[in-house]
Amino acid sequence: MKKTVKLWVLLLLLGQSYAFAQNARVTGKVTGPDNQGLPGVNVQVSGTTTGTSSDAAGNFAINAASTASLVFSNIGYVGQTVPINGRSVINIQMAEDQKTLSEVVVVGYGTQRKVDVTGALTAISTKEFAQQPITRLDQVLQGRAAGVQVTQTNGAPGGDARIRIRGANSVLGSNNPLYVVDGFLGADFNFVNPSDIETIQILKDAASTSIYGSRGANGVVIITTKKGAKGLKVNYEGQFSTSEVIKKYDVLPAGEFAEIVNARSTAVGTGLPFTSDQIAQFKQNGGTDWQSLVFRNGSGQQHQITLSGGGDKTTFLVSGNYLNQNGIVNNSGFKRYNLRTNINTQINDKLSFRLNLWGTQSKNHNTLDGGAIVQALAWAPTTPAYGADGQPTFTDPIGSVYRNPLDYLYDQSVDANRSGLNINGGINYKLPIKGLSVDLQYAVNYLNAQNLNLNGKRLSNNVPTASRYSSEQLTLQNTNNLNYDVKIGDHSINAVAVLETQQFTDRNFTASASGLRFPQLGYDNLGLNTAATVASGYQKWTIFSLLGRVNYGYKDKYLVTAAVRRDGSSKFATGNKYSVFPSVAVGWRLSEEEFIKKLNVFSNLKLRGSWGMTGSQAAPAYSTISTYGTAQVAYNNSAATAGVILGNPGNPDLKWETTKQVDVGLEAEFLNGRLHIEADYFKKNTSDLLLNVAIPSYAGGGTQNRNVGEIENKGFEFSIGGTPLISGSFRWETNLNFSTLQNKVLNLGNYPRLGTGTGVGGGMSTTNEFMLIPGEPLGSYWGLNYLGTWKPGEADAAAKQGRVPGDPHYQDLNGDNTITTDDFQIIGRAFPKATGGWNNTFSYKGLTLNVFFNGVFGVDKLNYTRAAAMSGAGDARQFILSEIRDYNRPGNESSNVPAFTKTYQPFTQSSRFIEDGSFIRLKNVSLSYNVPTSFLKNKANIRVFASATNLLTITKYKGPDPESARVGSGTDSAIGIDYGSYPNAKQYTLGINLGF
Amino acid sequence: MKKLLIIGMAAMLTAGCKGYLEEDTTGLLYGGNVLSTQDGLESALTGAYRGLGNQWTYGFLHPSANAAVLGADDVTTHPASNKADWREFDQFNVSTTNQRSGAVYNGCYKAIQGANNVINNYAKTVGTKATIDIIAGEAFFIRGFSYYWLTRFYGNIPLVTAGEYSADLLTIKKSTPAEVYALIVEDLKKAETMLPNARRDPGRPNAGSAKAFLADVYLTMAGWPLKQTDKYDLAAAKAKEVIDNRATYGFALMPTFAEVFANDPAVAIIPESVFQINGFTGGSGTANATYGNTTMPGEEGGWDDMFAELNFFKNFPAGPRKNATFRTAFGLGATTIPWQQSLTKHPYYQKWYIKGNIVTSSISLPTVMMRYPHVLTVYAEAKARGTGGPDQAAYDALNAVRSRGLSSGAKALTPGDGLTAAQFADAVVQERAWEFACERTRWFDLVRLEQVEAANAAKSPEDLQPIKPITKANYWFTLPYTDTSINPNL
Repeated sequence: MKKTVKLWVLLLLLGQSYAFAQNARVTGKVTGPDNQGLPGVNVQVSGTTTGTSSDAAGNFAINAASTASLVFSNIGYVGQTVPINGRSVINIQMAEDQKTLSEVVVVGYGTQRKVDVTGALTAISTKEFAQQPITRLDQVLQGRAAGVQVTQTNGAPGGDARIRIRGANSVLGSNNPLYVVDGFLGADFNFVNPSDIETIQILKDAASTSIYGSRGANGVVIITTKKGAKGLKVNYEGQFSTSEVIKKYDVLPAGEFAEIVNARSTAVGTGLPFTSDQIAQFKQNGGTDWQSLVFRNGSGQQHQITLSGGGDKTTFLVSGNYLNQNGIVNNSGFKRYNLRTNINTQINDKLSFRLNLWGTQSKNHNTLDGGAIVQALAWAPTTPAYGADGQPTFTDPIGSVYRNPLDYLYDQSVDANRSGLNINGGINYKLPIKGLSVDLQYAVNYLNAQNLNLNGKRLSNNVPTASRYSSEQLTLQNTNNLNYDVKIGDHSINAVAVLETQQFTDRNFTASASGLRFPQLGYDNLGLNTAATVASGYQKWTIFSLLGRVNYGYKDKYLVTAAVRRDGSSKFATGNKYSVFPSVAVGWRLSEEEFIKKLNVFSNLKLRGSWGMTGSQAAPAYSTISTYGTAQVAYNNSAATAGVILGNPGNPDLKWETTKQVDVGLEAEFLNGRLHIEADYFKKNTSDLLLNVAIPSYAGGGTQNRNVGEIENKGFEFSIGGTPLISGSFRWETNLNFSTLQNKVLNLGNYPRLGTGTGVGGGMSTTNEFMLIPGEPLGSYWGLNYLGTWKPGEADAAAKQGRVPGDPHYQDLNGDNTITTDDFQIIGRAFPKATGGWNNTFSYKGLTLNVFFNGVFGVDKLNYTRAAAMSGAGDARQFILSEIRDYNRPGNESSNVPAFTKTYQPFTQSSRFIEDGSFIRLKNVSLSYNVPTSFLKNKANIRVFASATNLLTITKYKGPDPESARVGSGTDSAIGIDYGSYPNAKQYTLGINLGF
Repeated sequence: MKKLLIIGMAAMLTAGCKGYLEEDTTGLLYGGNVLSTQDGLESALTGAYRGLGNQWTYGFLHPSANAAVLGADDVTTHPASNKADWREFDQFNVSTTNQRSGAVYNGCYKAIQGANNVINNYAKTVGTKATIDIIAGEAFFIRGFSYYWLTRFYGNIPLVTAGEYSADLLTIKKSTPAEVYALIVEDLKKAETMLPNARRDPGRPNAGSAKAFLADVYLTMAGWPLKQTDKYDLAAAKAKEVIDNRATYGFALMPTFAEVFANDPAVAIIPESVFQINGFTGGSGTANATYGNTTMPGEEGGWDDMFAELNFFKNFPAGPRKNATFRTAFGLGATTIPWQQSLTKHPYYQKWYIKGNIVTSSISLPTVMMRYPHVLTVYAEAKARGTGGPDQAAYDALNAVRSRGLSSGAKALTPGDGLTAAQFADAVVQERAWEFACERTRWFDLVRLEQVEAANAAKSPEDLQPIKPITKANYWFTLPYTDTSINPNL
């Protein structure tokens, strides 16, 4: 009885409240501090997804319950929550957000008020990628900042990415930016879990980077990780994905392949490998589609749990992340585990303490280029994948001379395991002088690398081999920072003085065993072998640095920054150890000037310029010394003896590579921040360029590191962003960035030109694929100019070269009727001329749609994957791609696909296989939905999303993926060769975020 | 607290600097004293051998030299397939970037660098003098051997005797064959006195090896390009020295030709081997790829890299040698097809099949750089072309080789057959062609006797032809682009 009464009362109450809460129309006007109408102000009914925004005059209209509250928000203004209290008209005035003005950004060794910044730096906010399925830092950086080029050179999960800030300065050294994570210099970006990132700051010009001296030449990416905040919070993110190959090569079907192989045999007078019966059967039953045996649908998942909280004095954050991806090549994958924790405590008013600790482990399995991918286009479609014994076919009588793609997939393990631990702690103490504080930080970074390889019986010519490489690297860093920050009247001063040391040691060993008696035990039981070798090594380098910087601002209008760093490095000999890197920058905030204020156009307008020097100790440790290496020789048929062999000659005169950079930039903000533009022009000049200069074979071969020459990089960077459309609850935010880059070798000392190679073109390249020539950019392809085939009317000219019509016709530069290396010339450019990104976010109530394009323009690729399958070179004996259908033959003499002759001499290192690698890619499209918090009684946040990566690619490139290439990400003198590189995948992801 | 911090920082400032930037060379091997010990010298000698055998990189453990001598009339390659770099030699169109001849070039110079280092330092090495002399003797042999290969392939070459790198090496000029041969002779003469009679390992030379190569060098010096015909007598005398002392050096002719090419990985060396570069699958880059795949037909899982020229095969005298030299029916199983019905329609070289017909490109077998019958033929030819013409010993030497190759009952040659000295010498050269078919010998005979054009004119029209008329310019390869692009004086 009692229960029923209660129920009735409850229902009645609910009914009443429903009656009270009936929606009514509320109108009003939002004004700014100047009493003018404020357009574009977001007006939302608190706790719902109902929202609108103010029109050009600042007026708005919305339906809301009379008991509800309205939330007003606008960039640069202090948000307000106004209870309706039954009113139908609500006018409010919004105040400028002083916090925005005092917004600080992270710069090297400190922070700065954003408005005071004089250097060129780009911040990437976590908001920009929150809508995308990001697993790695390179995906965060790609396409989002002008002047930053990111290329996913290896499309495998956990694969290599090339990240460049304002181009490449160094030929020998790494051109990777310096990553600074929570103050630790030289962090491995692969280990950074994007979910842990609070802010990313990209330092581009010398004024920003010279504070990093010898390590700043390639730009700096400063990452600050998330810290805990008061109150307990738990957050879970989960993602599930599936992926597939973007495109496959178009390969001849077995029947047609057999016909063409027969046609070629007839033409050169060898026997016919296929009978007409066999061809008929292939036509009927098809053959082997090797690509579909190599590629598969990949899958992946990622889980992240973050727990944060704390009290008034102490906060903490703990996060754990697990990533598991199976690549689109069979039996390849990547796993990563991350644990991060930090504690911050304010011991008293003056003293604070912080500790960051993170551990990570990553495991790559068979994420290789080449191998199976190359062989899939070399093995004949007429050869069955498996033999009668159920094993993969051992040899291919027609196509490849080498191993079955399936053996590359399943008869080898190439595993790279990395375990890292970083402990980074510091104390900060405010000294009795106002504005002066001291900060001491110590960091220990430990990396354990294990490379575990197994080459099974089938892949290894019956000599199964396994090896294990183990390396322990320890980096110790100590940073002592004295900071002074005051504002006296119109003068603001921020100064910093730092003493920093860093020490790196690496101890490693390799054990390898061949003739394994139990190959299935692999690298985990190396002892059971017929022969074993061991090796070990040690490396150490140290840097000792002193640096200082002063920022001075007058009336927040005129800004000057001066910085200097002196670095000493153990890598150079006495006399060349030290170098000094100064910089100076000025800024002028025009928007603070009365004459600009009067225009009432700009909410911010700043002109800035900088000059400075940075360096690179691009040479590896011990380059000043000539050392011996180890080599083995067999004196009988049952053992190998180790001996010593002279290595590359050392160069005691080595010194720092120095980069000078000027930068001019303009920042402008219009319409109260709804539109912002930033433009920069920069010019970098790198001198004392460190190069690997080839030593002739007769002098022992190899290379010597030398300071030779000069390189220039210059370009424009432009970004425009804003909120072009706000209509009711609909909002479109967009950000477009575009940058150009011109790279040029200015001189090479006494050398007219210097070749640089890659070592990836085995069997394809006959000499260095790239040539450095003054006046030409880095990454200039070197080869023969392919003029098509000799045509019937050119029989005489062809005969002079010993050729017949239908044979490949290469430009004979010196006219000696012989095609030699003297006829080599620049045939393409591997460096993109321009890159861009366009990020769009459309939101409507709880729905958010993100559309992100990324583009690379003006770049050539050398497609050796196609060359191998189209020229009877390398391991492939036959032509396998469907484009061979067009081969030059009577009746088809105009074709530029060479004929089948005995005088056929292919040069794969030619313009025939240079392809335009420009592309525009729909990098991400995702749709997410925020479940209304009211629905969850404000106790939780739930977001679900679905996303597609690399959904659409517009390109002329003939390979599966214009982005991937087969050269390590560190080098730039030789990039852009695609020889079976692991392609990027199309990926579809579903995800959920839960927050409590 | 504050004081503590200041003290801490001051401590850092002072402690940080001193010695902090000194390079720590723990674990590095460098400097002049590396070769001051006998172990160091021995290790450097092993490093010198490395130049002669680094599979797929340089030296003679993969078919590099084999491809480079394809201009001779005994071996050819596939007219299509992926053999463009092989065809360059057979068609006399060798590019300066060809990786096959380049592998010989790079390997020989790497060996020379190592040998130079030993030769320039052994006098200062502390240890047992007898052993140090042997080490140095091997180094002299390696250097002479390497320059011999280089000058025969390239003619005028940089002559380097320094081990350590110095910048002036970047601009040195080429030396003439005469200058190069002078050093070769000098080195081999030192080697023959410093080396022991018994080799220390199967893969090392003994005094007999040095003498045998010296005899071969003299024979070559007597022909093109030097044409120092007085060297025929020196060649004959040196070869005779080896023949007379064959037991001392452990050289002997095996009873049957087939046994020579049993190619059993369990046998480290056969008595016919005068000098060899050993292969071992268990080391790093030490396996041998000149057997198996490279000379097998596609029908047997081979690579069709090299096989017999048609007329050479046709003219080859029948007998046990022909049977053991060629593979004329293909198929590893029960059914075989005759070569005429194969895809390439050529007989292949059985010589380089591994025992049990294993299909592989990595095996523990040696690359034999000279066989004892080579010494016999050097004597026979040199004696015939030298003072006094062929003597009975010359006939005996030739017959020993010839009779083993021919069917039993074949008549031995005698002075009574009425051959002139020149005819006898030509008979020896022809005998060498059969005996050492596909053993990187024929090409050098054709070059020194200036018979390259004639031999190629006699090829079957069904074999690959030179793409342009052969001239003396085709007798040598142009120096590799890798080096000419660095040193403008080459």
